[in-house]
Amino acid sequence: MSLPAGEAGRTLSSTYRWSMPANWWTRKRHYFFYMLREFTALPLALWLLWFLVEIKRAADGPASYAPHSSALFVAFSVVCLMFALYHSITFLSLAGVIIHVKFLDRPVPSRLIVLSQFGLWAAASIVIGFVLIWFGR
Amino acid sequence: MAKRITIQATRFDPEKDTKPRLQSYDIPFSDDSMVVLDALNYIKAHVDGTLSYRWSCRMGICGSCGMMVNGTPKLTCNAFLRDYWPQPVVVQPLNNFPVVRDLVIDMEDFMDKLKSVKPWIIRKQDIPLGAHEHVQTTSQIDDFKQFSQCINCMLCYAACPVYGLNNEFLGPAAIALARRYNLDSRDQGLKDRLPVIAEAEGVWECSFVGECSVVCPKGVDPAKAIQQTKLDTTMRFVLPYGNRE
Repeated sequence: MSLPAGEAGRTLSSTYRWSMPANWWTRKRHYFFYMLREFTALPLALWLLWFLVEIKRAADGPASYAPHSSALFVAFSVVCLMFALYHSITFLSLAGVIIHVKFLDRPVPSRLIVLSQFGLWAAASIVIGFVLIWFGR
Repeated sequence: MAKRITIQATRFDPEKDTKPRLQSYDIPFSDDSMVVLDALNYIKAHVDGTLSYRWSCRMGICGSCGMMVNGTPKLTCNAFLRDYWPQPVVVQPLNNFPVVRDLVIDMEDFMDKLKSVKPWIIRKQDIPLGAHEHVQTTSQIDDFKQFSQCINCMLCYAACPVYGLNNEFLGPAAIALARRYNLDSRDQGLKDRLPVIAEAEGVWECSFVGECSVVCPKGVDPAKAIQQTKLDTTMRFVLPYGNRE
């Protein structure tokens, strides 16, 4: 039967202390994808560091600059792109959950907020792509 | 022949055991409407009267019968045996909390956290009794209604790996209830709650696993409450006049 209410209030010195097992994130699919989402930041950070090095190299002028094009590097970049897309899609999909906006005293549907976020993402990608291609010619 | 089901329940006697162990009970599964709590009550009444666990209302209101059922935090009064039979059902105390005895956890840490967010309406000046009501529109009620459904069952804490790794984290239910009051048009206590909810081990400790919202038996979305609070506190910091009432 249920314990007296006072049971929870007393100081307990003989309780068993629960601790998280190291493999907790393998026990549920949801936890695994959470860890994957968090892990994506690491290769993205490495790729961005490399990108900074490339900018520095390119600053020396076009004559001495040749971009990396090895198969290994292209494969790494593709993996980073996949991670970036996964991270961005999960992040933007949650925008509808987080952003709470009212219009004419009625809450804006979260689906509309998510669509607007993806729309802005697409527009920003087009603008950045255009600038890179236009000035990189 | 009547169906039977095996219940494996955690046993822990702090005076004898160094760590919890599982004990199996083979009991009749006589009725498809039987829930895990019915099975525990059967064991308590007919098999082993020493088994300890909390329960009260048996209808998903009181929030006291939360346990791990096959590794998932559930209200045992709402976990039907038919969903598990013929496999055994493993019943353990809620993860992330100290175990007092058998299936009973020590909830003191949660109660302290709950009190720290002041989950009640705070007014700068109370309206005298009998003067008039705190008028509130249905739209204003809708702003916080879902967060007010929390029954303090602590399933969200058992599902939260962030709390499991760092129990200084304020946790999902306490933040959801803080948001419930912060969104209430009658409440004026935001500044009293901010020092607790906006600190590093308040909302900012959460890395949005989201499992708290998945396991909530009342459809509350604590993950949403936490992320919205992050956004609100950031906007208060960034926007001009954001910290003015």
